[in-house]
Amino acid sequence: MNAHEPERTEMDRLKKLLQQALPPIEGEPEPSRDLWPAVLKRLDARPAATPWFDWALLAGLVGLAAFFPASIPVLLYYL
Amino acid sequence: MNPHPYLRAYLSGIFVPTFILPMLLTVFIVARIVLKLPIPIEQGLVFPMALVPVLWGLWNMLYLCTNARMHLSIGLHGAILPLLLMPAGALLGICLGVLAIGVHGVTWFRACEIPYTLIAPCFLAALAGYYLVWKYIVGFVNRVLGIA
Repeated sequence: MNAHEPERTEMDRLKKLLQQALPPIEGEPEPSRDLWPAVLKRLDARPAATPWFDWALLAGLVGLAAFFPASIPVLLYYL
Repeated sequence: MNPHPYLRAYLSGIFVPTFILPMLLTVFIVARIVLKLPIPIEQGLVFPMALVPVLWGLWNMLYLCTNARMHLSIGLHGAILPLLLMPAGALLGICLGVLAIGVHGVTWFRACEIPYTLIAPCFLAALAGYYLVWKYIVGFVNRVLGIA
């Protein structure tokens, strides 16, 4: 009998216990398609342009503050 | 995996008011203590300092909760908030003595007189401001925090 036999048996037992404690990952470990082109596309995508309606709202706000400065503290009170 | 999305929505919602309020507070302190302006600003500070940030955070949590069903844009969702805030702020202002209702208009902080004809434009301006802030700033923070 080999002198290292009990040690090897213990290692096998530990290996078996570890395999039982950590079950294999179910399903595909990798995505079904390459995701890197999508990342590059998203990085290259330009932000959407601000619509004219939003610029008009901003202009209205600035106009109100300019013509009626008394409204500024009231508006800030609600922020 | 999306841990604590509502906590992140709350933090995203309070970002704007908690970012702006210290600057406003600085202006208020300079105006009141340094420049000795006779305007009782401190009486009205409780609303923007205590209630508004909490309401913004809760409103963003509500957006996260209802977005899957209602598909309302975040700008429009934010523009609804003044419909709750303005009556609440006015009521609190009357209770705290910073808002007085007169014959020709309302007077804020015993200094800023707003005629009744200007109340509707102010209200529309608040809606527009909230729409823009929620669409561009809160929406951006939501995307950064991964909850958009």
